[in-house]
Amino acid sequence: MGKYIVKRFIMMIATILIIASLTFVLMHLIPGSPFDGERTTNPTIQANLEKFYKLDQPLHIQYLSYLKSIVTFDFGPSIKKPNESVNELLARGFPISFELGMATILVALLSGIILGTIASLRHNGLVDYFAMTFAVVGISVPNFVLATLLIQQLAVKWDLLPAATWSSPLHMILPIIALATGPTAIIARLTRSSMLEVLTQDYIKMARAKGLSPARIIVRHALRNALMPVVTILGTMLAGILTGTFVIERIFAIPGMGKYFVESINNRDYPVIMGTTVFYSAFLVFMLFIVDIAYGLLDPRIKLHRKEGDA
Amino acid sequence: MKKWLSLFVVALFVLVLSACTATKDAGEKAPETNTEKEGEEKETVVETETEKVLTLNNGNEPTSFDPSVAFDAVSWNALNNIMEGLVRLSKDHLAEPATAEKIDVAEDGLTYTFTIREDAKWSNGDPVLASDFVYGWLHMLSPETASPAAFLAYFIDGAEAYNSGEGAAEDVAIKALEEKVFEVKLNAPTEAFLNIITNPSFFPVNEKVATENATWFTEADTFVGNGPFKLTTWEHDVSFTFAKNENYWDADTVKLDKVEWAMINDSNTEYQMYETGELDVSGVPAELADQLMDSPELKNEDQAGLYFYRFNVSQEPFTNKKIRQAFALAVDQQEIVEFVTKNGEKPAEGFIPYGFVGPDGKEFRETAGKLVGFDAEKAKTLLAEGMAEEGYTDLPEVTLTYSTSDTHKKIAEALQSKFKEVLAVDVTLQNVEASVFATEQKEFKYQLSRSSFLFDYADPVNALESFITGSSMNRTTWSNAEFDKLIADIKNETDEAKRWEMLIQADTLLMAEMPIFPVHYYNQVILEKPTVSGIVRHPVGYMDLKWADKE
Repeated sequence: MGKYIVKRFIMMIATILIIASLTFVLMHLIPGSPFDGERTTNPTIQANLEKFYKLDQPLHIQYLSYLKSIVTFDFGPSIKKPNESVNELLARGFPISFELGMATILVALLSGIILGTIASLRHNGLVDYFAMTFAVVGISVPNFVLATLLIQQLAVKWDLLPAATWSSPLHMILPIIALATGPTAIIARLTRSSMLEVLTQDYIKMARAKGLSPARIIVRHALRNALMPVVTILGTMLAGILTGTFVIERIFAIPGMGKYFVESINNRDYPVIMGTTVFYSAFLVFMLFIVDIAYGLLDPRIKLHRKEGDA
Repeated sequence: MKKWLSLFVVALFVLVLSACTATKDAGEKAPETNTEKEGEEKETVVETETEKVLTLNNGNEPTSFDPSVAFDAVSWNALNNIMEGLVRLSKDHLAEPATAEKIDVAEDGLTYTFTIREDAKWSNGDPVLASDFVYGWLHMLSPETASPAAFLAYFIDGAEAYNSGEGAAEDVAIKALEEKVFEVKLNAPTEAFLNIITNPSFFPVNEKVATENATWFTEADTFVGNGPFKLTTWEHDVSFTFAKNENYWDADTVKLDKVEWAMINDSNTEYQMYETGELDVSGVPAELADQLMDSPELKNEDQAGLYFYRFNVSQEPFTNKKIRQAFALAVDQQEIVEFVTKNGEKPAEGFIPYGFVGPDGKEFRETAGKLVGFDAEKAKTLLAEGMAEEGYTDLPEVTLTYSTSDTHKKIAEALQSKFKEVLAVDVTLQNVEASVFATEQKEFKYQLSRSSFLFDYADPVNALESFITGSSMNRTTWSNAEFDKLIADIKNETDEAKRWEMLIQADTLLMAEMPIFPVHYYNQVILEKPTVSGIVRHPVGYMDLKWADKE
């Protein structure tokens, strides 16, 4: 187990370095510069700006200082917000995105699993149809449509909740609903289908025959196995949601870090592109690692060192 | 098995527990902030009779409150109200003495002497000195600051050399003659000089504060301004607040007690918050423009700038003047603003927009007249003539390029259908991501492409000089000796009437040669609650709240 973790850790570092290098290459391959806009920057001023951001140096030097910035996790100042470092932007935005994301994941996980389990137990019953209709709607309605609808109805028309901004728990309700609906639907569907499969297995029959209570069978025997696919998608889902979502944060004016992913690329804000990409990929790789460990905890048949041998 | 099971249960338990504590924390924190908020609200309720609080939306976090660093409305609409230069734009958009009470211009039009008001003070109580202007302006011009707005100061003798790293700071012709007397020497008479220095990049910087703390402008606690308002709070990416600045020399004029700025980026959300009363002013979301255009709360004001298209005069078929004219005359500006953009813009009739008044007191646009407009018959004739001149039997293929956006797409499609309808020419549309578009247009890669211009200062020459040979703003490869000479003469002319005459000539020549064709002038469409009054929006310049009031 220890050996496995060390090996995985080295792999993680390598993955991040590869992603970072690819990002650097792609970033400089796309035409456009951070200083280009409708107004063509005066050549003297452009030279001053390039010097300020060290963009006048040859690419390989830029690459080296870029690698250094990854190792030290210090990405320097943002080009579009020259008074702030990328670290400051991330440090300010991430906790907010994380808060929203954590709440969303908890809501989605709880309601998704409950909904999926109930649906599987009432297979082809009314509850099942209801839950699966909800799931289909939840997956197909994009969250920005839902968000706008929620604001329009609950905030503007009925005046129940504040429309936007991020200042009190009341303000959190609408974005959480808008953001959690999709993942809830996905989790519900996954839980349901794997529960249906698990419930027909022999060991469940065996447990029933032993006379165990239905609740005990479902929670301790069936659900535990049925949750494997949910755990699998949870890794990517967590990384995606916890690092912020561009659309929802924009609509609800939440000062998270989601916007930096999109805006930095539009602006060719190289330091911010680097910062967000490295941060996100490190987070994602770490989440996948956690998921692999969790497999072992959930299912003792998966032995980590054996997996290592397979790979 | 059992061991794993218990581990799992423990893990689950920990998860649930942490989840609970997380929500508990949130729950505990929340009432605190709530009560605080309520407290604040109660205060404001008690003082409603006296407190006037305006709520605005800034859209985004300001780029920077260092007057030399940002060059955008998102920073300067706010900064314009917490700092002040030597002059300030009046309600009628004219540069008037502000921090300076007296302005002397030497006869040659080159030397300006400003006497700063005795009662001009910084928000921390320090007097505003001539040396604060010297410090601020040199800070802007320093190549190390890399200010994107520094070119505005190139009218000052020695400024360009210093900014490009070739000259020294001492050679920039700005001086503090006395404690309160500031002198500037220009390299050529510049009609618009006073207007140019209303721009926030010419604001003073409190030298004492800035030398003690190089990042004084990044937080509300350390920010020191000299405008009608002072910055009281600034929660980055969330909001900032202004309060009336009691140290302002003209504090009696300022009516508002507080201004609260939110940062809502989404135009629909902004409008919804305006609807719920959380904002006093809002923009108009594009999808609702149609139904809101007649709202009594809507204000439509000129903005000096225009939307236009550039021909590449080095690429066939636009090497031919008549073919360029044919394409331009096939465009129906009126139809585009009425049925495509639907945002209340004025159709363009020349390169210079409305809002520029000449020495004769008449609008530039009125004197210059309608230089371009839809004329199907003439367009057809011109195309036939142009094709004959070039010996074309078929017109070379034409691709129209625009940067990806809904509005640009709609206008491009309108043009495409007009070219088809009037000239029977099939134009291919191509959309390109904005930043790539900007770079490739600069590299002359497009035949026909969209563009826009926003004025930096209120003088037609600012826009017209874009098209002199080799200018980085030209982007058409067009070069015309007569036009170049005209612009050079305009810059040296001291007689206002003659200069104005030449400006009109330049606009006329540009529209006759047609390296570009204009589509519509820009405007600012705003929803404003009926209780709000006196917010001044200039065609060139930034929002001014000095005279704003709220009932």
